[in-house]
Amino acid sequence: MIDAMDKAAGLSPDEALFAARRFRPEFVRGAEECRLSVLQPANDQGLAPNLRVALARRMAALNADPILMAEYDVQLAQLDPTEQLLALAQGETDLIEPLATIVRHVDLITLTPKSAEASHIALLEKAGLNNPQIVALSELIAFVNFQTRVASGLRLMRST
Amino acid sequence: MISSVRLKPLNWHPYIAPVELSEATPEQLEAMKVTPSAKKVSEYVRTLAHDPESYLARTVLFNAIMYVEGGLARPDRELGALGASLVNGCKFCAVVHARRHAELTKSDEVVTALYLDKPEALGPRDAAIYSFARRLSAAPSEATTDDIAALRSVGMDDCEIIDLIHAISIFGWANRLMHVLGHAESG
Repeated sequence: MIDAMDKAAGLSPDEALFAARRFRPEFVRGAEECRLSVLQPANDQGLAPNLRVALARRMAALNADPILMAEYDVQLAQLDPTEQLLALAQGETDLIEPLATIVRHVDLITLTPKSAEASHIALLEKAGLNNPQIVALSELIAFVNFQTRVASGLRLMRST
Repeated sequence: MISSVRLKPLNWHPYIAPVELSEATPEQLEAMKVTPSAKKVSEYVRTLAHDPESYLARTVLFNAIMYVEGGLARPDRELGALGASLVNGCKFCAVVHARRHAELTKSDEVVTALYLDKPEALGPRDAAIYSFARRLSAAPSEATTDDIAALRSVGMDDCEIIDLIHAISIFGWANRLMHVLGHAESG
C-alpha cells in the first residue's frame, strides 16, 4: 500500500526503493503514525485540523518542496478553510491574532531553529496559547521538517 | 595532533511548566511509559506529555531509528544526529550524541574534529556522512545527488542510506523541540 511518504517521495510499488523502504517497517509505520498524531490527532488541543494543514503547507513552501505543497493544498481545500487560513498557507504574514504570532514562530523555527530563544515561547503565551497548544504546535513544526527531509532524501536516492 | 575535546553532559530546563506526575491524565501517564533511549521520565518527557499523542508516536519512531537492529552502524547514526544538531544549534542534543559516538567508537577523534570545526580531518566515510547530514539539515535542504553518490562510493547500500536519512531527519525534529522548548546548562 502506498502511504503519505511514498507519495511525497514519488515512489511506486514496482520500484526497488519502495521495497528498500519496507526493510524498515518500524520507520514506515512510525512516520505514518506521527503524521496522524500532528495532522489529525484525536485531541487537537484547540488547534483545528485545517489550521494544522495550512501551517504544514506553509512549511512545505519554506522547505521549497513543491510536491508536499501541492499535497497540502489539496488537503486544505477539503477542510473548509477560511480566507485567513488560505492566506496563512500561502505565506502571508499580515494576519489576525493569534495567527500572526503563530506564523512568525513557525517561520523562525523552520528556517533558523538555531536562533530560538525563551522570548519566542513567551510570545506564544502572550498570544493566548496554553502549554498543550505550545507543545502540539512545536511537534507539528518539527514533524513537517522531518517529513520534508525524508522525502527529499528518498527523491535524491531515486535519481542517482 | 589535536588535543581531545572533553564534552561534559548538559542539563536541560523547559521554558514552560512540565506536566506534574501527580496531575497527569491516564493518557499522559500511559504515554510516559515510553521514553527516548529508554531513559527515565525527565523534565523533557514531562514537557512533551502536554500533548501525549504526538509524544508517544514520535518517541516510538525515534527509538526505532536510533536503535533498531542491523542496517547502518550505530556510530554512523550518531554522526548523522550530531551533524543535524550542530546545524540546528541544539547544544544539548549535540553533546549527548557526540558522547555516544565517542563511547561507541572508543575514540573522541571524530567528535574533536567536529567541535574544533576541522571536518577535513575526518576519514572518507565519516566525511561523506557528516557532509550529507549538514546539507540535508539546512532549510531548505541543500543535499544533492552528489551527496548520495559520495555515500555510495564509500560502500553504503540503499538500506544504510535510508537509515541515515532517517537519523538525520529525526533530529530535524528532535532539535526543533529541545532547542525551542527549553535551554541547556552545564553542570
